[in-house]
Amino acid sequence: MRRTVVFILVFAVASVVVCVAQGLPPTLEFRHQGLRIEADTLRDRVEMAPIMSLLGGEMTFSASAGVWALSLGENLIQIAPDRRLILVNGELVEAQDPPMTSPTGVAVTLAFLDRHILATFGFHLETFTGGYSIVPGVRFGDTVSIRPITADFGATTTLVLALSRAVSVSVEEIPEGGLAILFENASPQIDAPTPLRSRRVRSLTAGSGRLDVDLAIDVGLLSWNILTNPDRIVLEFGRVPPTPTPAPVRVVEYSGPAPIVIDPGHGGDDTGAIGAPGQMEKDLTLTIARRLTQALRARGYTVRLTRNSDIERALTDRTALANRLEARLFISLHANSSTISSVRGAETYYMSLDDRASDAAAQSTADLENRASGGSSATGSPLDLILWDMAQSEVLNESSRLALAVQGRLNALLNLRDRGVKQAPFVVLTGATMPAVLVEVGFLSNKAERDRLLSPDHQQRLADAIALGIGDFLGGS
Amino acid sequence: MNRRVLWIVCAGVAVALLLAWLLFFRSGRMTPVEEDLPATIAPTPTPAPKQQVVLLFPGRDGLLHPELRQVSLPKESDTRIQVLVEELLAGPTSGLAPVIPYSAELRAVFVGQNNQAYIDLTGPPEPLDGSMTELMLTYGLVNTILLNTEVTAVQLLFDGSQRPTLTGHLDLSRPLVLNKRFISGP
Ligand SMILES: [Zn+2]
Repeated sequence: MRRTVVFILVFAVASVVVCVAQGLPPTLEFRHQGLRIEADTLRDRVEMAPIMSLLGGEMTFSASAGVWALSLGENLIQIAPDRRLILVNGELVEAQDPPMTSPTGVAVTLAFLDRHILATFGFHLETFTGGYSIVPGVRFGDTVSIRPITADFGATTTLVLALSRAVSVSVEEIPEGGLAILFENASPQIDAPTPLRSRRVRSLTAGSGRLDVDLAIDVGLLSWNILTNPDRIVLEFGRVPPTPTPAPVRVVEYSGPAPIVIDPGHGGDDTGAIGAPGQMEKDLTLTIARRLTQALRARGYTVRLTRNSDIERALTDRTALANRLEARLFISLHANSSTISSVRGAETYYMSLDDRASDAAAQSTADLENRASGGSSATGSPLDLILWDMAQSEVLNESSRLALAVQGRLNALLNLRDRGVKQAPFVVLTGATMPAVLVEVGFLSNKAERDRLLSPDHQQRLADAIALGIGDFLGGS
Repeated sequence: MNRRVLWIVCAGVAVALLLAWLLFFRSGRMTPVEEDLPATIAPTPTPAPKQQVVLLFPGRDGLLHPELRQVSLPKESDTRIQVLVEELLAGPTSGLAPVIPYSAELRAVFVGQNNQAYIDLTGPPEPLDGSMTELMLTYGLVNTILLNTEVTAVQLLFDGSQRPTLTGHLDLSRPLVLNKRFISGP
């Protein structure tokens, strides 16, 4: 239904906007392979009989069925007055504008003629002053609706174009920048539930048989693929050509306005772990967060804190802030505690999606986005889920790399007991749309480690180690 | 006059509360009240057969380690969970740490129609801390129950109500499923 409406719109803009809006002149001239005829019109419809004779086809009426059969070569179209359903080569098709009974049999709209009859016979309409030419070649393939989703990573952006059906396409880079995706026998229509938000993909424009992708400066196509189940085109963009300059110089260049968000764990009434009276996790995480902020700013990065004083902040608000700022990274800082007093060391966590509750989270996210955009949650939900999963698993990949980079520096620089990189469904990591990790800098429940954690020297070394890990990740990506 | 009415009302409420407490909250641990049933239909108590169960306790590596135990396991999910949790609360017999770092009691077990279990524990007397404590308590309980029963998910309750989180890291407001990441490999 919606596809047909969209199609009609495109058609009207392309060729017959005046005719559809104001009705047709009493007769229209049609030309085909050097022949010409005048066809009578009936309001916004045109007689079918003269056009069939111009094409050299046959038009017969079955009185018992009340159906007109239009045939040309192997092709057979069966239409009936006032009925939307038509039979095209044995397949049922629903038309927006049904045919009408007319003095010479049956009359159809120009859109119907082009879309259902001429397209089946392998022709299309072209205008000239005072009439139409029927020329070989199908102009309007079936529309294909496209739902775009982008995911920005450290150095690349993935654009997923979810397709309503399989298509064949080719991709051409435009010399002035950007690229065009050319569709064979299909008219792309963008069906975007949410606005595109990407640092590298600026906009998408659907045209006749093509989709233009506008890219940010210095961004180019790295790869593209057509995938099935569900049908989609996946394109990856990044800086082209890759500069072989070593990382330390580039770091400053790379740091755009998107900030790194540092989250000092706990705060306010939520003290977090308590080492000894007055030694609280919430204070330690804020101190290290401030030192980390300085270390990162010195390297040219923009940094934002989820709290910069002793206040309580909901866990979900912390992640929401990072998402709203479209942060490059999210780093949550914590200090641990165990009932086993000998346990010590640092560990870095990233999100795990492997408990089934994550499906529910994805479902509700997809539903929320759908509702926010005014769409119904019933349409495209499974596809949304798959795409959400895809984007999430990409973010997870990046998060695991970030976790490894940070943990590697913590191990190397601090000679801490390596507790490794782990995955857990922590609330602050849930729903982060950028690489996100939670760093447990050590155990306040271990006497020796507590003493170290409370020394400013050690706090600075922790901050430096985490900053180096972040640099490794951003520079090397 | 008013005072007498007040006394009667108070006494009535007190008796009702005591009865409710005896019937609903203590039934799990108390000897069931003997009912006067005709001898012919009195069930002969057949002790549940002993079975091997896997109990998970935290080690110093931040992972849960299995401890095998032979226990009499009833068939019904709720009583089965009760046995498992009581075994966990009794603590490890090897060098592992307790799953719950305070002396908790099991208040109630419910199993919903969708095979989701709700287990209600007494809350910690003072706030717990650390993500490790939270992970070990949560997945020690949840994984032990899921590994030994037909239940599909476990929702933890403390003092009869949901808690958004226990130490500020994990989301405990929803039922949780098996998470093998925190179980030590063989
Ligand atoms: Zn914490």
